[in-house]
Amino acid sequence: MVTKDTMSSLEVRNWLLDQPEGETLLRCYQCGRCTSACPVADIEPSFNPRLFLQKILLSDELIAEEQLVWNCLTCEQCEVRCPEHVKIPHILILAKVRGLMKGNVPAAALDRARNILSIGRSLEVSSPMLKTREKMGLPDLGTPPMDQIVAMLVDIGIVGKIEKAESIYGGTENE
Amino acid sequence: MSKARTYTYFPGCMIPYRLPHFELTMREVLKKLGVELETSPDHSCCPEPTTFTGVDFEAWVTIAARNVAVSESTGNDTVAMCSGCFHTLAVANHMVHEDQELRERINKRLKKSGLEVTGDHSVKNLLHVLHNDIGIEAIQKQVTNPLKQLKIAPHYGCHLVRPLEATNMDHAENPQWMDAIIRATGAEVAEFENKMACCGAPIMPADEQKSLTVTSKHLKHIKASGADAIVVLCPTCYTQMETQQGKVEAIAETEFNLPVLSLGELLALSMGLSEIVTENQRRYHRVKLTELLEKAGVGGA
Ligand code: SF4
Ligand code: SF4
Repeated sequence: MVTKDTMSSLEVRNWLLDQPEGETLLRCYQCGRCTSACPVADIEPSFNPRLFLQKILLSDELIAEEQLVWNCLTCEQCEVRCPEHVKIPHILILAKVRGLMKGNVPAAALDRARNILSIGRSLEVSSPMLKTREKMGLPDLGTPPMDQIVAMLVDIGIVGKIEKAESIYGGTENE
Repeated sequence: MSKARTYTYFPGCMIPYRLPHFELTMREVLKKLGVELETSPDHSCCPEPTTFTGVDFEAWVTIAARNVAVSESTGNDTVAMCSGCFHTLAVANHMVHEDQELRERINKRLKKSGLEVTGDHSVKNLLHVLHNDIGIEAIQKQVTNPLKQLKIAPHYGCHLVRPLEATNMDHAENPQWMDAIIRATGAEVAEFENKMACCGAPIMPADEQKSLTVTSKHLKHIKASGADAIVVLCPTCYTQMETQQGKVEAIAETEFNLPVLSLGELLALSMGLSEIVTENQRRYHRVKLTELLEKAGVGGA
């Protein structure tokens, strides 16, 4: 489902609960096992998956400004331990999506997304890279059909959004 | 040798362009095992599952499902060498298979280019191919240089294994297939705390300090096991634990000096293909392999 730029927290909650993975949130009974299993919570006490889920359930406005959701590794150690099989990392990913137009996205993530939407690769393919492949006897992989890919994404509007988006997040520049 | 199996190889970005020695060694190993790989120029970036998902999930699942549709049109099973690519394709495949609304929405977008996605396609990683399709016995038959002196720590990484309903792996917390392949090379499998710990890489763009702290905990556990090296499949795990090992050491205030090999490199060493490892070691390995290669009986370069 395509997100709008100006969703209220209640709309985000309903949008999320409308999807099969998001709907698993309703099974959460706040036992906190996810947080005990989480390697980020272990080193950063203010990162608390259980609390993020509670905020989303309660349509707390703050979740939109919650930069900390970007500290989720998507490692799924929480989900493995959750007695209710709540799709926690998937839900946190959906919580991130809303931040794009507010700039709540790390600069390096934005750069990667721009590459993917313009050249179909997450990194710029340089001629030395191509030469190395040739020297190793590895086949040429061609170039992805970007016209086709961009045309397919029209109703999502991502290409226009990503042009306008700016990161206020900072984060790590180099990779 | 049994008859050749053909897979559609999904290359992605990191392995073919940043770490091509992963592809080179695995291709040579697979050739020995009677596997052929075909590529399609229509495949794009998977897209990577750790940041693009949070930028626009709907665009992510659409591009991913398009890549699955391209794979479906080839008629072969797909294999991705990179865990990020594998995860993206497997999750998108599973989602379109399970969610009819999503499938219809995406197929409407794909129609313009004459593609269709069903979600019935088989998306595999190298462990499915090596352990399940080829089998441990067939691998053992190709081992001419058993790596008896080596103790190897398997790093599966998160995205290769979880979530099980999409990855079709054996276990979410104690997977065994890479262990079995390591044993097939003659090496010993290192036992360490928290086998399925995350390498830390996904949050490098968001918070380098925390990212490297996660890595340092993991490397400490592996170091304590007495492992000679770590073996990985994922190029992002490799970058985090190998290329960035110096930075991790600075944070941990300790020296790890832990070599990291791709599974293709380990198998190549055991199958008499050591030149392709030694030829490329200096370019792609920051942590010296000299001692490891000596123990592997192939000498340094
Ligand atoms: S472990 Fe599951 S049920 Fe318990 S708080 Fe976390 S998400 Fe909710
Ligand atoms: S997926 Fe995110 S919230 Fe869950 S354990 Fe990993 S880092 Fe923590």
